[in-house]
Amino acid sequence: MATEVEQHVNVEVEGGIGWIRLNRPEKMNAIGALTRKQLGDAIKQAERDEAIRVVVLTGSGRAFSSGADVTEMVSGGGMRTPEDVGNVLRTEYMPMLMRLRTMPKPVIAAMNGPAAGIGASYALACDIRIGTPEAYILEAFVNIGLAPDGGVSWLLPRLAGTGVAYEMFFSGKPLSAADAHRLGVINRIVPAERLEEEVRDLANHLISQPRQALAGAKRAVNHALTSSYEDAMEFESYLQEAQAGSAEFAEGVQAFLARRASKK
Amino acid sequence: MGYENILVDIAAPIAVVTLNRPKVLNALSPELIREMTTALGELDADDSVRAVVLTGGPKVFAAGADIGDMADRGPVEQLRRDQTGRWAAFAAFSKPLIAAVNGYALGGGCEVALMCDLIVAGDSARLGQPEINLGIIPGAGGTQRWPRTAGKYAAMEVMLTGAPVTAERAYELGIVNKVVPSEMTIEVARRMARQLAEKPPLALRMAKEAVLKAFEAPLSDGLASERKSFYFLFASDDQKEGMHAFLEKRKGVFKGR
Repeated sequence: MATEVEQHVNVEVEGGIGWIRLNRPEKMNAIGALTRKQLGDAIKQAERDEAIRVVVLTGSGRAFSSGADVTEMVSGGGMRTPEDVGNVLRTEYMPMLMRLRTMPKPVIAAMNGPAAGIGASYALACDIRIGTPEAYILEAFVNIGLAPDGGVSWLLPRLAGTGVAYEMFFSGKPLSAADAHRLGVINRIVPAERLEEEVRDLANHLISQPRQALAGAKRAVNHALTSSYEDAMEFESYLQEAQAGSAEFAEGVQAFLARRASKK
Repeated sequence: MGYENILVDIAAPIAVVTLNRPKVLNALSPELIREMTTALGELDADDSVRAVVLTGGPKVFAAGADIGDMADRGPVEQLRRDQTGRWAAFAAFSKPLIAAVNGYALGGGCEVALMCDLIVAGDSARLGQPEINLGIIPGAGGTQRWPRTAGKYAAMEVMLTGAPVTAERAYELGIVNKVVPSEMTIEVARRMARQLAEKPPLALRMAKEAVLKAFEAPLSDGLASERKSFYFLFASDDQKEGMHAFLEKRKGVFKGR
């Protein structure tokens, strides 16, 4: 008889929304080897599945994710040497974080609670963050003698500015949900009991928007983040040409002229 | 001309050659290479065509040679088939040749792109020389053209690791001229070709020859040859037209004479 594999990640597809839920509430959704495998598979599947129009990443229980499973890091479980640490970042975390940022559909972090360490890296790699008042962000690396990883050295200065990013990386102290909201790192704060509803409403609205136009916006932003103003505008102009030839645009303009809602 | 592995679309003054074996990611079979080089020869001879786009279509440029076809061959067989020697048609092609690259341009596919004069890459483009993973090395110019453009160290990395580079990385390395959204790659290359088609053809040809000479000859020879071509062009109608049009503040109309 096959032993049942623990489900560290739950995936649920509901009306075009792909909910990817970290499911280790007893461990504050710490991310270990099995979690990485299941999360990687879930993210890949969410990108491929045409029925999924918007992806939501969230946690079960009190935390979004407390970060890497440190007990596993010291006890074995695939990370024994410094080189293992680097390899896991390069071969496991990197591809899935890249995928969140580049897949041609919106990815929302529903921050049901704190996001620390690599957990914060996931939240920050999403396109949009909606959080509860308890959803602080902690760059905990320094507290155990590590430097930032999972892309936050790139993401956080862009989202919050270098001053805030440095303070977080140096001090190892959390950025409260309220401060994160004020800085624009978290788009909206809602009470915990309304989080899912708020995220679902947003996701449904995005599903009602022209799909290819959203994918185009994401491509344009990703391109712009690594290029000059001039290159970004040129890339945009070609993207816009492609979009201007699309059925989405034809319908959008017709609907606008007829003063009716567009069909998507 | 009837071709089975490529499409040739002549829309004078430009032409688009599309590698057309989508089921095998445009793998470069001997037949495809023969058709491609034959088509280039015909387009070179066709005076109505002044610039050519070479593409693999919207998804893939060419994912290398036909490995199934090569796996069990010996060196003499490979030599007799002289597959690599056929690339001479590219070297002889006298008009601007623009590669429009989407998706994979690997191995021979990447080398074909590097044989072109300009490369427009879609953001989906991945260029590389994975031959090392098969126990061979590039055989159609990869080891020579990469370092001449991207420098020794980038070229070594590409050759020795076999890992492809992204369109953006290729742009940083100077391997591609422009990165555009993949839906637009072929269109942008066509526009570039139409722009070049308005230029004086003889001067285009001399300019192309002169630049290519920089990769072959010592500087003094290259400079001497450049100088001769410069003087030579003063014997052309197009030079007279170009300079008078400039003085008369109008756009020159060039005939290639």
